Amino acid sequence: MKKILVDKCASMGIAMGKVFLVNRPDITPAEYSVTEEEKGTEIQKFQHAVDTVTANLEEAAKESEIFAAHIELVKDFALKDSVETMIRSGVGNVEQAIAESCNRFVSMFEAMEDEYMRERAVDMKDIKERLLMSVKGINPNPFAAMEEPCIIVATDLAPSDTVRMKKELVLGFITQFGGVTSHVAIIAKNLGLPALVGVTGLMQNVADRDEIILDATGKTIIFKPDEETKNFYKEAVQRTNEENALYAKLKGVPAVTRDGKTVEICANVGNVEDIKTAKEFGFDGIGLFRSEFLYMENTHFPTEEEQFAVYKEAVLTAEKYVIVRTLDIGGDKGLPYFEFEKEENPFLGWRAIRICLEMTDMFKAQLRALLRASAFGDIRIMYPMIISEDELDKADSILEECKKELDIEGKAYNKNIQIGIMIETPAAVICAPELAKKVDFFSIGTNDLTQYITAVDRGNKKISYLYDSFNPAVLRAIKMVINAGHAAGIPVGMCGEFASDEKAAKLLLGMGLDEFSMSASCMNRVKALIREMNYKEISESTEVKRI
Amino acid sequence: MVEQKVEIINPSGLHMRPANILAQVAGRCTSDITISNGKRTVNPKSLLLLMSAAITCGSEVTVTCSGPDEIADLKTIVDAIQSGLGEMVQEKF
Repeated sequence: MKKILVDKCASMGIAMGKVFLVNRPDITPAEYSVTEEEKGTEIQKFQHAVDTVTANLEEAAKESEIFAAHIELVKDFALKDSVETMIRSGVGNVEQAIAESCNRFVSMFEAMEDEYMRERAVDMKDIKERLLMSVKGINPNPFAAMEEPCIIVATDLAPSDTVRMKKELVLGFITQFGGVTSHVAIIAKNLGLPALVGVTGLMQNVADRDEIILDATGKTIIFKPDEETKNFYKEAVQRTNEENALYAKLKGVPAVTRDGKTVEICANVGNVEDIKTAKEFGFDGIGLFRSEFLYMENTHFPTEEEQFAVYKEAVLTAEKYVIVRTLDIGGDKGLPYFEFEKEENPFLGWRAIRICLEMTDMFKAQLRALLRASAFGDIRIMYPMIISEDELDKADSILEECKKELDIEGKAYNKNIQIGIMIETPAAVICAPELAKKVDFFSIGTNDLTQYITAVDRGNKKISYLYDSFNPAVLRAIKMVINAGHAAGIPVGMCGEFASDEKAAKLLLGMGLDEFSMSASCMNRVKALIREMNYKEISESTEVKRI
Repeated sequence: MVEQKVEIINPSGLHMRPANILAQVAGRCTSDITISNGKRTVNPKSLLLLMSAAITCGSEVTVTCSGPDEIADLKTIVDAIQSGLGEMVQEKF
């Protein structure tokens, strides 16, 4: 038995089971030699690999158009010529010829001045791997062997991995790399599965099919547990299941404290599917609809019509209010079809509202879509990354322009649509009293706010111990924002993961937060906590007062 | 052989998506085609070769076609490039 302790939990819960180790196969070309007579067979092997990879990519292209161009690259006659010439002239076998030919194109792309083109080297490497796996007879899906419920263990997981695994068999996730805001963490939370990420020393302690206990809530991993430990955890798992059953009963019950203060419990979502999942748990509204996924999982800037269809479906599905955050891109989030200039400090750079105020045609397409969808339900618009009244005024005047256009075109929208802003910069905290007079609501984004207030890069592992939303400066900033909002008579919500933290929930309630928005699977746990609390007592406690 | 000069209007130049469209359009033509930006001359029927020329926005390229259908093919290629290769529909950035 061996234990590893981790500093942070990515998604709560406990799981016991067998390890499914995600193997990255060895694709080093074999070094056998080829006789004159065998050359024809080698070329056939290549042609067969092209056909197989093309078929696989065609399947993948149904889900994402990005793969459509990959198909053309695989079938490209320049690649074919290169591979076949190498085999014919005796330079190497099929595997060596594929590796060598692809590497030439990789180096060619890597040498280009244009950064976008340089990144195409990655596509070429991907094609090389696919072709080599095909000739070597390796299944390109590392999850093909998943047959029984298991805990996924990997150095790291990409979004494409999470698409390919059989989710119904996954009990939890452990990765050696990645932070608590990483892709795996978000997926795990949405599925309501435990996850620990950034686990140093993970891979050297684990083998495929090993028994393992993942206690994400307790930030502990136990390898090859003994009987006593297993029994202890069996009980813990049972308790968790019972708690979950209890939470399930809270669906549709209001989040009201013992002394009668009601707050709203909302879900953070990325698409309409998420809203459907969240509805199973019950919510008071959608506190954050991340519209960037509409842009990121696309091959072009989504048109007004495309967006309108999504927002309309979102609000009709939710049947409650839906706060849509306008495009929050840049920083760590890029687009496959638009090239961002490389910046020294992307988190302090051209991102979110800054991009929208410059690319006004694109921004207007989104605003018009949101306005039109507001005719079908309570859509609310939220601008991210605001740092001044001036920015807010500019965004609002573009919105007014859109409203006038729709009036002229005779298209319906909610004339009293609510407009709010994310409070996630120190500037917005400091100017909150003025900003509050111009909007209908605030929503505090703690992930970025913590990073900006404490000057701690949230992706930097070396200083991750400093990334702490309980830092007194962050707590005080939250209090200032809530007070400023209430002074102007507007509600204040929070859509950062901090709102789902058990210890934080008490402080936030005490400070008077009106709306708690979080991953769907956390909602009823927080609701249960709030229903046990006494608002007046907490708000007058020294713990809250001294913030 | 016929040839014509045309300007690339795609904002990020001939990156993967527009290049792919051009390669497909070229692939349907029977003529032997070349496209040149002054530095490199490539066969646009190959997406890889086309991308290897790293043709940027605003650059002028020369398209040549030779074969029985060269006049029609040249027009097809030039029209495709001038129409923005599927990119210019509504955004002007």
